[in-house]
Amino acid sequence: MHEMSLVQGLLSQLHELAREHNKTKVITVCMDIGPLSGVVIDSFQFGFDILSAEDPLTRSASLVIESTPATYLCCGCGKRIEEELKPEACPACSETLLSPEGGDDIILRQVQME
Amino acid sequence: MCDSCGCDLTPDHSHDSKVIDVHQSLLAANTAMAEKNRVHIEKMGAVAINMISSPGSGKTTLLEKTIEAMKDRLRIGVIEGDIETDRDAARIRAKGVPVIQLTTGGACHLDAAQIHKGLHLLEKEPGGDQLDLLVIENVGNLVCPATFDLGEHHRVVLVSVPEGPDKPAKYPKAFISSQVFIISKTDLLPYFDFPVEEAKAEALQLNPNLLVMDLSATSGEGFEQWLHYLTTICQK
Ligand SMILES: Nc1nc2c(ncn2[C@@H]2O[C@H](COP(=O)(O)OP(=O)(O)OP(=O)(O)O)[C@@H](O)[C@H]2O)c(=O)[nH]1
Ligand SMILES: [Mg+2]
Ligand SMILES: [Zn+2]
Repeated sequence: MHEMSLVQGLLSQLHELAREHNKTKVITVCMDIGPLSGVVIDSFQFGFDILSAEDPLTRSASLVIESTPATYLCCGCGKRIEEELKPEACPACSETLLSPEGGDDIILRQVQME
Repeated sequence: MCDSCGCDLTPDHSHDSKVIDVHQSLLAANTAMAEKNRVHIEKMGAVAINMISSPGSGKTTLLEKTIEAMKDRLRIGVIEGDIETDRDAARIRAKGVPVIQLTTGGACHLDAAQIHKGLHLLEKEPGGDQLDLLVIENVGNLVCPATFDLGEHHRVVLVSVPEGPDKPAKYPKAFISSQVFIISKTDLLPYFDFPVEEAKAEALQLNPNLLVMDLSATSGEGFEQWLHYLTTICQK
């Protein structure tokens, strides 16, 4: 459950942003959590629900999570393949060894506060 | 009380909502600390590896045998990570190399801040400040440690024969982020259904750049490839 410690980090970052911008209430938090980040999105959401409810700053905040897919580099022909799910083989040369790139981000994109 | 939102602040505060673009990784602080650790480790003269596996895959045993085989050729130091106890550090200390134990007190992974602390502690141990190889044994867990860069140069993931060959498919992150995949406890192959070549091929599907090896710390089979690998990375 490292999702909990990531949510704690997120909440302290939200406090910093609130102080910096003189705001007292978080309305929405937008995150980008890639499919190869090792983060279980449901666990992250669960952790956020629990921890944000205990905190006046985030009590009524909603969390929006998007997931930018990885790209795959074909080890045969060097083609870059962009698909939601990892393809079985390269559409150009049928090579099955495909090296993932990106998709491992855990990014705080945008916060709406008042 | 303020009329427009029911809050307890003075009425003159702003209700303008503001959208702030942040675009920062939640791991940014960890990654920055990991970079510092890498520089620190290089100043100690060392190359660092981070060993990741489920509990009991044989990390400490592999390390004990590695120290026995390499102690005269390489200056090895160890940082042990566990949730509780200093038993693994005691096992390594018995082999006569500098070691410190980090206990996470419940956390399922080591992070770069703990390693930062660990490096300073290790430097106070006799011989701990001048090393060729620093081994970090992570908390036994195949999932969470994979997310946290500690400042290592190479990441080694282990799966032991009794765990079964489906681990790369089920826990991909550790395999995608590692440089080496070790199938351990191969002396047990006669008693378990573990098709080694299939497991290797499946891991390579996830990460074609993995160096895959299979070995047994008890029987010593397959050890040359591992020792050769360590020798190579320590020559830099
Ligand atoms: N048969 C066999 N048993 C092994 C081998 N390597 C380790 N073991 C046994 O596996 C058990 C766990 O080994 P450890 O080295 O403590 O495993 P670990 O990965 O360090 O465990 P944690 O630190 O708790 O995650 C011990 O009983 C070892 O004796 C091996 O190569 N073959
Ligand atoms: Mg151990
Ligand atoms: Zn191709």
